[in-house]
Amino acid sequence: MNGALPCVLFVDDEERILRSLRMLFRGRAEILATTSGREAVELVRNHRVHVVVSDQRMPGMTGVDVLREVAACSPATMRILLTGYADLDAMTASVNEGEIYRFVEKPWDAQRLIATVEQAARIAMDEFDVQASRGAEAAPTANAIADAERAAAHVLVLDEDGAIAAQVRELLPPAVAVVRAGDLESALDALATQEVAVMIAQLSSADGDVADALKQLKRLRPAMLAIVLSSLRDSRLLLGLINEGQVFRFLLQPPPRELLRRALIAALERHEALRTQTRLLRRHDVEAPSRAPAATISARVLGAWRRLREATVARIA
Amino acid sequence: MHSMTIAPPNPALPANSIASTQPSAARTEAPAGLSTLRLSTPPVPPDTCVIDVAQLFLDASYAGLLSLPIVGADGAPVGMISRYELMRVFLQPYGRELFGRRPISLLMNRAPLVLSIEASIGDAARAIAQHIRSPITDDFILVEDGRYAGTALVLDVLRAVEGHLAEHSTELERAYVRLKSSQAQLVQSEKMASLGQMVAGLVHEINTPLGYVRNNVEMTRAVLADAAQLLGAQQAALDALLGGADAQASLDEVDVLRTRIDSVALDDIAALLDDTLHGVGQIGDLVLNLKDFSRLDQAGAQKADLNQLVASALRIANHILRKRGIEVVHQPGELPPVECAPAQINQVLLNLLTNAAQAIEHERGRIVVATRAVEGRAMVLIQDNGKGIAAEHQARIFDPFFTTKPVGEGTGMGLAISRQIVEQHGGAIRMTSHVGQGTRFVVVLPLRAATQEAA
Repeated sequence: MNGALPCVLFVDDEERILRSLRMLFRGRAEILATTSGREAVELVRNHRVHVVVSDQRMPGMTGVDVLREVAACSPATMRILLTGYADLDAMTASVNEGEIYRFVEKPWDAQRLIATVEQAARIAMDEFDVQASRGAEAAPTANAIADAERAAAHVLVLDEDGAIAAQVRELLPPAVAVVRAGDLESALDALATQEVAVMIAQLSSADGDVADALKQLKRLRPAMLAIVLSSLRDSRLLLGLINEGQVFRFLLQPPPRELLRRALIAALERHEALRTQTRLLRRHDVEAPSRAPAATISARVLGAWRRLREATVARIA
Repeated sequence: MHSMTIAPPNPALPANSIASTQPSAARTEAPAGLSTLRLSTPPVPPDTCVIDVAQLFLDASYAGLLSLPIVGADGAPVGMISRYELMRVFLQPYGRELFGRRPISLLMNRAPLVLSIEASIGDAARAIAQHIRSPITDDFILVEDGRYAGTALVLDVLRAVEGHLAEHSTELERAYVRLKSSQAQLVQSEKMASLGQMVAGLVHEINTPLGYVRNNVEMTRAVLADAAQLLGAQQAALDALLGGADAQASLDEVDVLRTRIDSVALDDIAALLDDTLHGVGQIGDLVLNLKDFSRLDQAGAQKADLNQLVASALRIANHILRKRGIEVVHQPGELPPVECAPAQINQVLLNLLTNAAQAIEHERGRIVVATRAVEGRAMVLIQDNGKGIAAEHQARIFDPFFTTKPVGEGTGMGLAISRQIVEQHGGAIRMTSHVGQGTRFVVVLPLRAATQEAA
């Protein structure tokens, strides 16, 4: 990193963790560290902090609380959770409220952590630069629904019985097209032919095609936002969806109406922002999936997958 | 009396035992009606003379009947005459001669027990209990729309009732077995729930030191590699200088390497290694505590240091207490060894500590844990300054399944199991609580194990 170092803030109630991380990032970043969540938020308010790396379980304020407040007061700051154990509720909140970039488990791999934090720092630095050159960035006040209507963006719902699709249809104004796919194959076909802003997917198995496809899709269609509905309380699954799929919202089934509605609106808003300010796409970039796509997508849906890839390549070209 | 009962000669008469004739109907019709007990006993007109009625009692078709129905010409029952009454009359001096030719209506019981054929067995049992006196001398009359419809035997009612009871009791027994096994399952799931919570906490407690230990070791390895390289370069430079050769290249390398590794870096590494040792020690402590806590390698009841059990439970509950920023005031008193099953007492202590921590919703949490010896008993006090237990809940907190936690968060078995464990030890567990001020639990254990095996 030539010249200016990024500013990284570490938050952990264990001093030794902070000491260790300080040493690891010496010379790579300007380092702030605190054992208090409250102080961490203050630091972000008063400094330009590019990346916050926080523990989850801390007395007083949890990591998710810290990251939620950071997201509110400094949206350009990238947020990473580094924790020894997080229950599913904490993980869900870190996605839905903290909109975290990565979820990293302790004990961490030093080189990978450096790479992750540096990548996050690059994205944040660019973001801060753009903001600085434009002055204070106006908050996106545009009406997401109107934008969605203008952009003719579709909302794709992948669910077998159609109940969720019906609910989504009812929650959104008629001008926003809601497309339902009964299985992954038809969902991929729909994606190949239509501009999809938001995909809502029901996940009934942790290692099925859908979870893998969501991860792959984020690489092919980074502006498309995924809302996952599942009754699986599986933290492994969610970890993968965060780091490799940048899932936008994770809702336990059945989702409360209002929660689903807010998730849809937030996703349409974010899609609009990503569509018009493509540099923001980098904030959602993903880790390489642990398994290669061809190996993970079953033979049945491989054809649809190929069509989707071709369509994506054609669109970019 | 029972030995007198012989099979009714008239096939038209229903057998007088419900169990033998309609077992399935009796079981499905609950409650079975009196119609199932009906005997079509031919009625006796009121003007029949006493001698003739006595003769009827000898007839096989009336055998087994305690009394005969007396029915008027209009079909309505007017009374009953019992063997007992006839015998009483005949046993009197000249009784037979005095009364033999008189109409039976003179001797009959004018207020016999009359029940509707639609009445249930239960109703009949209640009516019998109210009307009939000891010794049992009468059976009873069944009517349908006020007209005579037959008789039924008190004995049959008793049998039917007994059949019902037996059935109910098997059902109760089955229900009891079901309950018992589901309670066992609940106890198990409570154990699993607290185990899950404990494991989650321990995983975090272990992964935190593991995090910096691993990182420190990786960094130390990198610094050591640099140090080895520097040492090599210095050695080369020294050799060159001593040998009179050109040492410049080696010295340049030493200069470069010096920027990467200096005494500051080495000091840092020394500090990191101290941390590392501390972390490894912490993980070791945790594992030791966990082993102690579960007493995997120890027998059931033994002499144990209660203070040590408390310390161990505090260590295990540490993550919950620390997460909530709770101050723990540990006041161990002098205690003789207590004969107990340590793993079970640990479970109780952990449960009470967890409850105490969960009751605290403010940021000035404080839990006092004290032990004391009182009159040959050991006492553990756990007091929190949490939200307290509402008065209407206080009486129920030890009840199985009672919980104020949201559905899915508590099985409601924690305190029920704790009390069971303490009582099995011959001890007692008491609670006092004030809403808004906190709750105090006191566990009292005898120093010597109770006679009851604490398994």
